[in-house]
Amino acid sequence: MLTVTDKFDDETDSQVEPSGKRTDEWSECLTLIGKNEDRAAFTRLFRHFAPLMKAFALSGSTLSANNADELVQEVMLKVWQKAGAFNAEKAAASTWIYTIARNSRTDLFRRLQKFDTPLSADDVSGSQESEEAFMVLHQKRGRDRIRALINELPNDQAQILAKVYMEGKSHSEVAGELDIPLGTVKSRVRLALQKLQIRFED
Amino acid sequence: MTNFHPDLDLITEYTAGSLPLTQSACVSLHISHCRRCQGIAGQLSDLGASLFEALEPAPVGDAQLNAVLARLDEEVPLSYARTSKDTSNTPAILQRLMRGDFSDLSWKNIGSTLRISYLQAGDPQHELAIYHFNAGGRIPEHTHRGSEMTLILQGGFSDAHGSYHKGDFLVRRQGDVHAPTALQSEDCICLVVLDAPLKFIDWKFRWMNPFLKLRTV
Repeated sequence: MLTVTDKFDDETDSQVEPSGKRTDEWSECLTLIGKNEDRAAFTRLFRHFAPLMKAFALSGSTLSANNADELVQEVMLKVWQKAGAFNAEKAAASTWIYTIARNSRTDLFRRLQKFDTPLSADDVSGSQESEEAFMVLHQKRGRDRIRALINELPNDQAQILAKVYMEGKSHSEVAGELDIPLGTVKSRVRLALQKLQIRFED
Repeated sequence: MTNFHPDLDLITEYTAGSLPLTQSACVSLHISHCRRCQGIAGQLSDLGASLFEALEPAPVGDAQLNAVLARLDEEVPLSYARTSKDTSNTPAILQRLMRGDFSDLSWKNIGSTLRISYLQAGDPQHELAIYHFNAGGRIPEHTHRGSEMTLILQGGFSDAHGSYHKGDFLVRRQGDVHAPTALQSEDCICLVVLDAPLKFIDWKFRWMNPFLKLRTV
């Protein structure tokens, strides 16, 4: 049934130990924080990820520098609070952290637009249970492939992906901003996903 | 396993966090049922993470770090009140909106086969509602003035285009006409997101058209 993983069954992945544990530094930091409330590990994680979070907060958005700093604090606090739920066998540290940053930014946008809602982005992103379940499907090899192929995308496709993912703009907002038809935005996204060899069928 | 899925554009916007709140709720409920879409969403989240890691870092000073370190011992607030009722059969998102189960909702009857309960999701552009139609019941033929997203929570229904079951995700667009009929075997419950009101074609129901307004609360 899980052909996505079946395809890789006969290949070994040097980054994953036989137990399935990931060995990268950020997974270790998260695990130390989750298990021992390790402040030194948290500080290492902060120094690496907080500047990325700030860049993410400021990406093409209308957030002020103050809002961006608040967002960085909020996300890093959540990382500390949720680290106990991080499972290095199932999730990549960077994806886990990015997901928290993305959801917090979406919530901040909604708060600034004075949305009055009982739902948070966490509620509707499936980030707790199901995301862990699907991360186990495709392991680190898929991430390495995506990371390697991103640099080979033509500029127009890379630009659209940056607007969609880093700036958090809908396809129609991107179309309006770049003054191109919505269909062109959609087809550039699809072409980019094809080049990144993202698999659509199981 | 479901047969009808959100398209790639929707899953992309969903994983990028740019989909409106109510539509995200609908897509996430489908994804929680569907391994295929979990696989796609997982890869797209990895894509987002890869782009995130490649950002040009923006300087963050030690003052920020110290401010966060000083707050690490804060109590984590419980983000919402839990209901005392056992609602384990109801998806978590809906529990947030319903504070109970389907029987606690207030329903508005539309004809003899359909009742609708509007949920207060706080999305100003979209109406989020639960539709309950009786087994074998038919919804009068109608068209759409905007887009309609439907996720089947229980039972199933059919229309001229096909037959749909629990977990299936459907989008009808402006101008699409259909007259869904619930399966004979059981009542059908759906989550529906609208960005514009329906318009009945069936002459017996046309009088309602001027009164159909989006309830976005």
